[in-house]
Amino acid sequence: MGHVATSIDGMELVYERPRTLTDTPMHYCPGCGHGVVHRLLMEVVQEMGIQEKTVGVAPVGCSVFAYNYMDIDMQEAAHGRASAVATGIKRILPDRFVFSYQGDGDLAAIGTAETIHTVNRGENILVVFINNAIYGMTGGQMAPTTLLGMVTSTTPLGRDAAVMGFPLKMTELVAQLPGAYYVTRQSVHTATAVRKLKKAIRNSLEYQKRNKGTCFIEVVSNCPSGWKMTPKESNDWLEKNMFPLYPPGDLKVPRD
Amino acid sequence: MIVEGAVQAGCKFFAGYPITPATGIFKGMVDMLPGRGGLALSAPDEISAIAYAIGASLRGLKAMTATSGPGWALMTESVQFALMTETPLVIALVQRLGPSTGGATQGAQGDVLLAEYCTSGGYTIPVLCPATAMECYSLAILAFTWAEVYRTPVVLLTDKEIAMTSERIDDHALCPMTAQDRPTAKAGSAAYAFEFPQEIPGFRPVGGYEKVTVTGSAHDKQGRLQKNSPETVQVLRHLEEKIRWREQDFSVVESDLQAGAETLVVSYGVTSRAALQAVVRARAEGTAVSFLAIKSLFPVPKKAIVKALAGIRTVIVPEENLTGLYRSVLSSLFHGADVRGVNKVGSMITPGEILEAVKEVQ
Repeated sequence: MGHVATSIDGMELVYERPRTLTDTPMHYCPGCGHGVVHRLLMEVVQEMGIQEKTVGVAPVGCSVFAYNYMDIDMQEAAHGRASAVATGIKRILPDRFVFSYQGDGDLAAIGTAETIHTVNRGENILVVFINNAIYGMTGGQMAPTTLLGMVTSTTPLGRDAAVMGFPLKMTELVAQLPGAYYVTRQSVHTATAVRKLKKAIRNSLEYQKRNKGTCFIEVVSNCPSGWKMTPKESNDWLEKNMFPLYPPGDLKVPRD
Repeated sequence: MIVEGAVQAGCKFFAGYPITPATGIFKGMVDMLPGRGGLALSAPDEISAIAYAIGASLRGLKAMTATSGPGWALMTESVQFALMTETPLVIALVQRLGPSTGGATQGAQGDVLLAEYCTSGGYTIPVLCPATAMECYSLAILAFTWAEVYRTPVVLLTDKEIAMTSERIDDHALCPMTAQDRPTAKAGSAAYAFEFPQEIPGFRPVGGYEKVTVTGSAHDKQGRLQKNSPETVQVLRHLEEKIRWREQDFSVVESDLQAGAETLVVSYGVTSRAALQAVVRARAEGTAVSFLAIKSLFPVPKKAIVKALAGIRTVIVPEENLTGLYRSVLSSLFHGADVRGVNKVGSMITPGEILEAVKEVQ
């Protein structure tokens, strides 16, 4: 763990890097939402004092390097299998806080079956689902969550429902399953959204102590490189185009 | 160039899933096929991608998919299904560093045996291995011909360096031929009709005039599930016999043998380019050395290898994997010769490293 400053030139430090985040420059493209979500997760872990008791499972995709940044036990899984590996870990270590962190390709394409069955079993883990409607790591191909009409490298004329089907609303799908305990959709494109997401992460990890089922957070995020936009443009585009299909808010909240 | 070759071959269906370093083929097919009366689909994973392609091939279309190591692992069940059901299919396997997720942007020659021996029971899957952009084109066409004519899955085995490197080519030299078509079934014949085990049964498309049943289970000549009837065992033998019997038809090699040479360098894929450089340099320094580049890895081109071995005392097999995968396959043919590997993982083998191995012999 790197040295953390408490003051700079005699001024009071009011905001700092959480000690649970390593002092490593991130590989993510400028403006990408991953870095913010990583930080929020680690802020919550620090605030709850559970750094030694938290285990994460990262996917194949852009966040394959998550272990470089999150200073907790961090595993990678085969493509699509993050929630399945998290299941094995949580079943053997039920007192740990276990989360999987997956993109739309990992969670909603190759890992769809794992996702549905993990939630259907009510695995007592947190699933963080980063939805940026594209395959970022391989250079911007159509994902299951790609919007209709959206241009990607494999939909050069825009996604056509007749050929490529409709955007998959995974969060709505899992919210119907009895094993789901808390299901919410958040984003990281504004300061307000970031605070709400942090609250949702905190709630999810608190709920994990109750052992009542799966917590599932979709984060509507961006991909400035894949979308061929500046970070600012991508955030504006996200609000205008992603939210009508993927509206932020809670889909299922605990009743007890 | 694989895409160009596939389109030239008459490929009309492609399904893919993004995976470095094979995504370029997927993207190329998406860009090219629809404009040529074909269909290129995005699948939710590699398991679906190959299954889509099998479905299209069952209808009679020339079909293809492309992937890399981790995706190949997911595809193997359907590769076996294609073999069992005699469904023509071309799979472009672009190797990257393994095991597991390995190195997506690092080349390797680590899937040679994984490609060949993915089938239960010891069946031969033809594997073609281009070393240049031009060969990507010509061997893609040949891969379709083999798949169609012999009704089998065929692997077009490249690696990150071959698939993702820009090369200059002479487009006038491109083969203008299309791939041959699969044999068609006579009206009223059984689904897998053959008199002798080496015969290729005529193909009958799904959705045609006659009822078609296809099963990945052990089956009789009608394509009906049966356990161990003599006819089912005959069909199982036929699946291998149809390839083994015409082994020589599958031989594609480039041999550059030097009279009086006692050392032979055998290589394939991107490494054969380094090997050729090493051989040229060794000869320039006055060392006699023979060279054999193998393009058809399986079935093993035994005759060409035995011919190249005349008078040879030492065989050097450079390949980009840990323990010499293809060397282990060839070693039984090299009886008596001193067999040496030049092996490396994580980066390409240089001509210098191969030259050093050649010189060590002298």
